[in-house]
Amino acid sequence: MGPLDDQVVRADSLTATADGLDIAVYSHWYRALPLPSLARVDLTVDGRRIDPAELSVTVNGTRHPFSGLAEAGDEYWFTTDPLVLHVPVETAPGREHRVQLLLGLSIPYILTGPDRVPLVAPSATDKTLTAAGART
Amino acid sequence: MTDTAPGLPRLGTTLFSLTLEQRRPGRDLASLVAEVAARDLGPGLEMVAFQSLRGWPRLDDDAVREVRGVIDASGLTPSCLAINLDLGLYPGRLLSDDEAYEYVAVQVRGAAALGFPAVRVGIECGPEIMTRLLPLAEQLGVKVGVEIHAPLTIEAPPVAALKELFTRLDTPWLGFIPDMSASMRAVPDAVDDAHRVAGISPELTALTKELWAEPGPTMAKFPELERRAAEAGATPAQLGNLRMLFTMHGRMAPERWAEFFPHVVHVHGKFYGIVDGPDGLTDPSIDWPAVARVLREQGYTGFVSSEYEAHAYSDRYSAFDQIRSQHDMLKRLLEAEPAVAAR
Repeated sequence: MGPLDDQVVRADSLTATADGLDIAVYSHWYRALPLPSLARVDLTVDGRRIDPAELSVTVNGTRHPFSGLAEAGDEYWFTTDPLVLHVPVETAPGREHRVQLLLGLSIPYILTGPDRVPLVAPSATDKTLTAAGART
Repeated sequence: MTDTAPGLPRLGTTLFSLTLEQRRPGRDLASLVAEVAARDLGPGLEMVAFQSLRGWPRLDDDAVREVRGVIDASGLTPSCLAINLDLGLYPGRLLSDDEAYEYVAVQVRGAAALGFPAVRVGIECGPEIMTRLLPLAEQLGVKVGVEIHAPLTIEAPPVAALKELFTRLDTPWLGFIPDMSASMRAVPDAVDDAHRVAGISPELTALTKELWAEPGPTMAKFPELERRAAEAGATPAQLGNLRMLFTMHGRMAPERWAEFFPHVVHVHGKFYGIVDGPDGLTDPSIDWPAVARVLREQGYTGFVSSEYEAHAYSDRYSAFDQIRSQHDMLKRLLEAEPAVAAR
């Protein structure tokens, strides 16, 4: 909840590449978070739910399988940098896609409840955007 | 700079206030710090390391030199670096005490390298880690302060445990950082904007504000909030937003900050909006006259970092203008003659 929610997926976030759709995602949290904080990526593109196991993620110039993020605790997603979700859906420059994303960030220093579980801060996006062509 | 008279608390700004400003195209650390200085919003400068410093907590020598250069060029005085203990870094487990100590220690060393005289940690940095940090704090000359943020109060067991520790150790290097979120007199009006976007009805927002303001411990009010919000048709996500209002805004009496002294190493001037009222600048949600009285009576001469946080709810207001108003208000309150004791 708040002004940063609208910036999680921006008007220019979609790029069509040779192997699918890239979605640039910006954090709705105010500080850099370690990569395991990317706890929940519920993504639906054009009505098709994308299994996180199909996703890979580029952050700080390195591409990780989504499942590998949980162990990358010494890498941080900086406040103003996008990370890129690589999504295996067919696309082309100029094509429109409806992107529905529930991004749940695990906040590692806010522990809740008797079991001291990190707070998960959600941000929901539902936008229809046009994919740009990949820059070469 | 908004200099206060000698012997009084000093004012300053935390870059956290500029969270939305930081995201604007063309902004970087240097431009934010320079604008804080140009608008006379010092002399103190605080920042959240993980928010403002790319590469934190492992800054190389060049990065340290660059950040120091930015601060030096601004003429501002480093007051506090907010650091974090990310205990829940990995899924399914918390860091061990050894890991936690190392996670914080590397950041305290980083703060010292950047010239900050104090760091802010959260309540998750408990007595054991704080005790282990003392020799390092002493050696580096960096004070370590635990932030007392809503929903914490003086009575919360982890706070009481720290108070006992600080009293026993009797050291200037460890202490508290009061944050005014813990002692508010009303839920800020800026939440209305966020609730509108989230589809929460004005009636439900009003109900939550009323319940919040009623006497009694906040924890005991959750069941009634949940029941009445459910009756009004709130979705689970909306209920989460309403619950957050109870968590983010505490109702401790501001006079009770006196009980944290003499173990106060820094102060967060948290606020959500200053308005121009019939009697001049005023804060509808925080009783600054009461806070200023405590700080003056306790002889506090450290920094009060203006921490504007309504950006979490609304982008309607200029954080720079808001801090200007808060500084003008605080300077007037702090420099006012002490009230004549009525008792």
